[in-house]
Amino acid sequence: MSRELYACVHAAEFPAQALLRLRPDLATQPVAVLEGRAPLEMVCALNGKARRCGAVLGITRLDAESIEGLKLLQRSAESEAAARSVLLECAAQFSPRIEETSQGTACAFMLDIAGMERLFGPPERLAKRLRSALAAAGLRASVALGANYHAARMKAGAQRGIAVIAEGEEASALASLPIAALELTEEQTETFILWGIGTLGELAAAPEAELVARLGDEARTWSALARGTAAHVFEPIEPSLSLEEFCEFEMPVEQADALLFIGARMIDCLVTRAATRALALASLTARMKLEQGGWHERTIRPALPSTDRKFLLKLLQLEIAAHPPPAAVAALTLAAEAGLTREVQLGLFAPQTPEPSRLDVTLARLKAIVGDDRVGTPMLDDTHQADSFRMDSLSAGDQTPLCEGRAVHMALRRVRPPAQVSVVLRGMSPAAFRDGEHHFKVTAAYGPWRTSGCWWSAGVWDGEEWDVLAVENGSASLAYVLTCDRLRNAWRLEAIYD
Amino acid sequence: MPSAAALRLEIERSLAHRFPSALTPMPRRFREVEATGIAAVDELLEGGMPVGAISEVTGAESSGRTSLALAFLARRTAEGRICAWVDVSDSFDPESAAANGVTLRQLLWVRCRDRSVTRKAGSKAKPWTRLDQALRATDLLLQAGGFAAIVLDLGGTAREHGSRIPAATWFRFRQAADQTRCSLVVLGKAAYAQSSAALVLECRREQAKIAGETALRGFAYAVECRRERWAANVMPMRKPPVSTWQAYATWEAEKRA
Repeated sequence: MSRELYACVHAAEFPAQALLRLRPDLATQPVAVLEGRAPLEMVCALNGKARRCGAVLGITRLDAESIEGLKLLQRSAESEAAARSVLLECAAQFSPRIEETSQGTACAFMLDIAGMERLFGPPERLAKRLRSALAAAGLRASVALGANYHAARMKAGAQRGIAVIAEGEEASALASLPIAALELTEEQTETFILWGIGTLGELAAAPEAELVARLGDEARTWSALARGTAAHVFEPIEPSLSLEEFCEFEMPVEQADALLFIGARMIDCLVTRAATRALALASLTARMKLEQGGWHERTIRPALPSTDRKFLLKLLQLEIAAHPPPAAVAALTLAAEAGLTREVQLGLFAPQTPEPSRLDVTLARLKAIVGDDRVGTPMLDDTHQADSFRMDSLSAGDQTPLCEGRAVHMALRRVRPPAQVSVVLRGMSPAAFRDGEHHFKVTAAYGPWRTSGCWWSAGVWDGEEWDVLAVENGSASLAYVLTCDRLRNAWRLEAIYD
Repeated sequence: MPSAAALRLEIERSLAHRFPSALTPMPRRFREVEATGIAAVDELLEGGMPVGAISEVTGAESSGRTSLALAFLARRTAEGRICAWVDVSDSFDPESAAANGVTLRQLLWVRCRDRSVTRKAGSKAKPWTRLDQALRATDLLLQAGGFAAIVLDLGGTAREHGSRIPAATWFRFRQAADQTRCSLVVLGKAAYAQSSAALVLECRREQAKIAGETALRGFAYAVECRRERWAANVMPMRKPPVSTWQAYATWEAEKRA
């Protein structure tokens, strides 16, 4: 039994497949892909329906437009790069040793599957599973299996579906393939046709010595390829995980819902790709190419890496709703960072806390209502300056025992921003103050408490603080905190004791 | 001679068409409560504030409402629970909260503002007012679940605005709080939730405590229970009891600790 066994995955018409992969709405329409600079654009790839409509490769845009119902798309290198990485990741699920054999507009990979029977069963089953995985990712590819590298490669490129070349049967399996499978020059092809050699079987039957005498040493290689005996040194590539999806729109998209329709499909693909490596999405960045040029970028970062498609889509929807792109979107890129999935063991006696994914959605909704910087956890700054804090993100904490019997502190209610007041002084202490509309008579004043800081920077402060009990028009007295800014000689109502 | 039980049964049967179970005492439901951390208030409330219900803490400014709410939150965060403060007038003071023992990392602060984002991009709808924002935020937090306590701070909201909050909103809050086992504490100048509130406390300031005529040492506050849904169904013969408690300035509280 041969030790070598290869599987070739060949995705033909790859520019068209890459564009249609994320566009299920175009799956039922004849589509042709154009490349080149206008007005010299030519069709470089098309789907089966377009072929049935009469479209062929190499026709000009004018000819293509004359075919009724044919949808024309522009070739996109970004889409092809994203689709290539998807194809590569699918292949990587079945073998760690992969070599790229892409040619022309086809994307192909050769997998060294020797010894994979124990994991995936017989080679035919592996081929079926490989095609299913590709179909789930939105790609159609032919798969050929064989002990000879080149035989599998040529067979996969020449036919559709699954082909299994039995060991020793390479020559007969390749016999019916046209000699174009050998990548000959036009001149060499013409020569073979003049000699009456149109297939690999005919080439294999021709005497090798005579061929070499007439065509040179290359003929030896062609003959070996045609017989399925050519040797190959496998050069595996190392597929890196790049979670990125790209979709370019024919017409700029203005509605967020339409954008998210495509975004949902892209998130599906990203989640599936991450899940095959037992990973989850730790962050998701949406880069929107604007119609007028420039990019609009938004990032969502769930509290825990997630593979929940609906949850990620909801977060993205809320983020885009809160920060809509300033113009119509011409292309959308979704890039994700992978993170480890976390399983949390719930305890019977653990305190009840909000579910992380649900909390993320709730926080996003709250931010949409009150603003990004208005929701979070207050963190005190390391300073004596009053009302100095920053907003941080909420996190579930641990139990911190509170000492029993501790005294309750007088709480303040801040006036933000502090109200400017005019103060009447008696001696050094305030006797009355007015905040524009209301006049307060101070019944008792305690202070001053002097604070200052940051004298070395522009944020210098220097003030004195008074605790005052004041009444307004005979009502009950309230306790206020008044501050006098000594640098600007201005009085402010800072807070109310409550 | 008929027994007392037979007599009772006979009387109940004869009055059944007007008063069902006339002589049978109403079964009393015991609700789960959480301590506020202030002994006098917990004693007044027979344990603390109800869990999964709306509690209103009312009173004018400087009546100790905020101190009471912070003391309650301090207990919840000390248990490792997550709490939220929905701040209509953006008057929450993180320093006071930290001084009262609230673990700030476990407190979600929602600061409403005057000019917020509009409801939908491109729509001509008016921006949410502070009160609208607060009610929507509270609704979202209650529906999200997992919060031990949510304080809806209407302390700076005028009475006429607070009393316009529809009863349906309070009813919805009550249902959501009950389902998520969340204590919703409403701070306000008056009671707004009406029948949806399980507990209404009225606070007022009794006196200021002075240290040597130069420093404000603390305040003495009084708390009165105006409504308690799950209290024993007994008409009080006396004036409702009032509890008094003290809050101190930071330096005084640390000295006492």
